[in-house]
This record gives sequence, C-alpha cells and structure tokens, in this order.
Amino acid sequence: MKIQKQQAMRNVLKGLTPLCLAAIYFYGWRFTAVLAVVAAAGVLSEYVLAKKYGLQMTESLFVSVLLFSLSLPPGIPLWIAALGIVFGIVFGKMVFGGFGRNIFNPAITARAFVYISFGVPMTSKFLPTLPGPDSWFPGGFAHWLSPLDSVSSATPLFTKSADLFNLAFGFIPGSFGETAAVLVVIGGLYIIIKKAANWRLTVSAIAAFLIMQTIFWLAGIRDTVDPLYALISGSFLLGAFFMITDPVSASQTTNIGRWIYGAFFGVLTVLIRVFSIWPEGITFAILLSNMFAPLLDYYLKERKKRKGASA
Amino acid sequence: MSDNVQLKTPKKGYRLLSGKSWMVFKEGLWHNNPIFGMMLGLCSTLAVTNLMSNALVMSLSVTIVLIVNSIIISSLRNFIPDRIRMIAYMLIISTLVIAIDMVLKIFLPDISKALGAYVALIITNCIIMGRAEAYASNNSIGISSVDALGVGLGYTFSLMIIATFRELVGFGSLFGYQVLPEPLSPMKIFSIPPGAFFTLGVFILIINTIRGHKEDDA
Repeated sequence: MKIQKQQAMRNVLKGLTPLCLAAIYFYGWRFTAVLAVVAAAGVLSEYVLAKKYGLQMTESLFVSVLLFSLSLPPGIPLWIAALGIVFGIVFGKMVFGGFGRNIFNPAITARAFVYISFGVPMTSKFLPTLPGPDSWFPGGFAHWLSPLDSVSSATPLFTKSADLFNLAFGFIPGSFGETAAVLVVIGGLYIIIKKAANWRLTVSAIAAFLIMQTIFWLAGIRDTVDPLYALISGSFLLGAFFMITDPVSASQTTNIGRWIYGAFFGVLTVLIRVFSIWPEGITFAILLSNMFAPLLDYYLKERKKRKGASA
Repeated sequence: MSDNVQLKTPKKGYRLLSGKSWMVFKEGLWHNNPIFGMMLGLCSTLAVTNLMSNALVMSLSVTIVLIVNSIIISSLRNFIPDRIRMIAYMLIISTLVIAIDMVLKIFLPDISKALGAYVALIITNCIIMGRAEAYASNNSIGISSVDALGVGLGYTFSLMIIATFRELVGFGSLFGYQVLPEPLSPMKIFSIPPGAFFTLGVFILIINTIRGHKEDDA
C-alpha cells in the first residue's frame, strides 16, 4: 500500500531528529530499540485497519510514532511501548476515520493510555543520564542503556531541584526526548520556520503558561516552582512546540482560535501540575484542549457568520 | 399454529421449550441482546463490570427482577388502567428491587457494598421498564416469563464477558483468584470506568460482526 506523502509531516520529522540523537546520547542505544518496536507496531496497526476500511496510510503516522517514543521514560518495557502505540493509532486515529478526522492527537492518546494503565513503569523507570561531569563523550553512543539499569531516579519535576544549566541541556533524568530544552526549542523553531507549525499556538501557550505559573509562584500556592524552572523542567516545551501544533487535532481554522487554543493548553498545564496528583499535566492538558478544539472552531465560525450578516 | 411452528424447527435434538418460546428466548439472549443489540442499561454495565463477582450478582439480580416483574405485570395486564400504567410498573419494580437489595445486604454484604447505589438503580434500569412496556403488558404469563428469562440471561452473558476481560486484564484475576503472574503488570485503565467504555465498544463491534454474518447466512 502506498503511503501518502505529506511535506509538513516530513518537516516535523526533521525537526525531531536532533531530539532523537540527543535521546541516544543521553540514554544509550536502547532508544533505537524502543523506536523500532513502536514503529513496527504502529505501521502494522495502521496498515491492517487502513486495508480493512479502505483508508489511506499517511506519513503523519511516523510523527506520531516518533513523538510517542520520545515521550516515554528510558526504562520502559518494550511491550508496553508497542501496546501503547497500537492503542493510540487504533483508538486515537483510525476509529475516527483515519488522518484528518481524528479528534485527539494519536501520540498523546497512546501516552495517556500507558500512563494510566502502567503507572509504576511509567513513573519509576526514569534513569540518570549517561554523560555527566566525569565523561562528556561518547556518552550514550557507547552504551546500550544506562548501567544503573535497576536504579530509578526521580525527575526534576518531582524533586524540584536541579540547576538551570542541566535542565536546559538535558543532563537530568526524564523521558527520552523531553530533557534537552534547548534542542526542543531549536527543532520547534525549525518546524515553525518551515510552516509545519503555526507560531501563534506555541507563543500563546508559552505566554499563558508563564503568566499562570508566575501568579501561582508569587501567591505561593502549594510550593509552586519559579516559572523559568517550570517551563524547562518537564515536557511542556515539547508539548507546546510539537504536540499542540498538530494540524488536525488543534483549533486551526482562525487565528483567534489558535490564540485561545494555545492559551487554554498553557493554563490547563499549570492547573493540572499544581492541583492534581499527576506531577506532569501536559498529557491531560493536550487531550482536554483537543476536546475543545471543534467547539472553538464552531463557535468562531458562527460568530463570523453572524457578524457578516449584521454588517 | 403450533403445528406450523414445529414444522419449522424440527432439525436436531430436542427442545426443552416449544418452537415459539424458543424463538422468543433466543431473541432476547442473542438477536436482540439488551446490551449489544438494544443498547439498554449501559450505565450499570459500565459501572459494575470491574470484577466478575460484582457483575454476576448484579446481573442475576436484574434477571430475577425482570422475570418476577414480567410475571406480575402480565398477570395484571388487564387490570392496570392504561393511563397510569407507568406508575404501576414503577411501583412493582421498586418493591422487587428493594426486596433484592435487602437480601443482598443480609447475605452478601461485601458485594452489596461494592455495588453501592447500582442495586437500587435497577429500578430505573430501562431494560426492565422496556420489557414490561413492550412485552409483558400485552402477552400471556408464560411467554412473558420466557421473554424475561431470555433478556435477563442475555444481560448476564453480556456483563460476564465484559467483566471477564476487565478483571483479567485490569487485576490479573478471575473471580478474585490470581491467574496472571505478577510481572505482567495489570493494566489499571481497565479497572476504571474509561476502560469500561473501550471494552464495551470493542465487544459491541465483535458481537455485532459475528451476528451480522450469522444473519447474512440465514
């Protein structure tokens, strides 16, 4: 079966490449095994359903595969990763009628599924990074997986203590692709310049996030951390640059819609991080924003129509 | 009439029920299954199928209420005025459900606690009201009870297959006995309501696919 070519998706893949290399550098070659398993399971599930229901396979599949792999903790068992992407592709995309009709971002659907189902492996399999003060090179390129395989360590989002340099360059325990904030921003800027993502979504998400976080920080609610630390310590940047800019599941019909949608995501992330039992809110924040996107589009379209009629 | 029906179904073995009753029974159990066919009573289905024991107790309670209710309503069908029939049905159903609730509280206190409000909510279960209104109110006692039995067992069967899957995957056990080894970490999502939605959806797909093919053959 032919896979439909999508230039925008190819640009996103290019934008994610530095993150993949960083994942190998920080956590070893095991990332490639995870990626291979996830890709195989994802392609297979999309192929079977596309064939059965006469749909077309699209290159967006590989973006989902890559984003999902990058969002997993390094010690994740392979079968959980495979199960997650199958669920994400089948229930996140294909049951709605394939690419272009899905309400939810398939990668995030997959992540939410494994996050809820396998709470222990998903939150305790974070590993310390391979390169560190003792050896900067070759880092993970010489290892299969961190030798401290059985030792799990808490991410800075739990401990709330790590210096900003390590956070920015990724020398912290975390998911494969979310740790190096600088690389996320570089890849993100690339896809924005290439017009694969709309800058309004990202800018409004980050602005709303910083404002909310600052308010909570200044008010001193529930030991909220300072805004800059919060911005780069979890996977918020990955979400803001790569996940909510998804052309299908985001509100993409009007510019006002984009601003509102991005801000909604930013605010929700802070609220979930601060007030819920989940340390990381972006998974649920994205799903909730996805859910409101059609409503937002509909409302804005109606408003435009009414304005046009009265004028 | 009865000769006619017997001509149609003499194929093999013997039938405990006569031709028409068998058809009515099968209709409720399979062709018009309350969960997968009519899609009634889904709320309780989603809520109580996390454990097989809960599902079994719940579905047997519903089956008993269904049968007794059908018998009572079909025997009173000529005495209940048309205008207030809904209220009359409601009264009969409530009485039965309260009785069942008390029995469960005495003999199965743990499961009764786990089911919580859902036993009392059998009163509002649309399967029971539906059978009363659609069948028992204008059919004889015998055939109404067969219909109620079919629908009740259809409900039981549906709940049990959903509960089997959810308990096996969500807790790794069957009826509370651990069957899956510990390292296969159970998938928590299937033990909570969101998992029930996915499970129900997939089972509706599977059952309707099977049923669709069967109907094509006939």
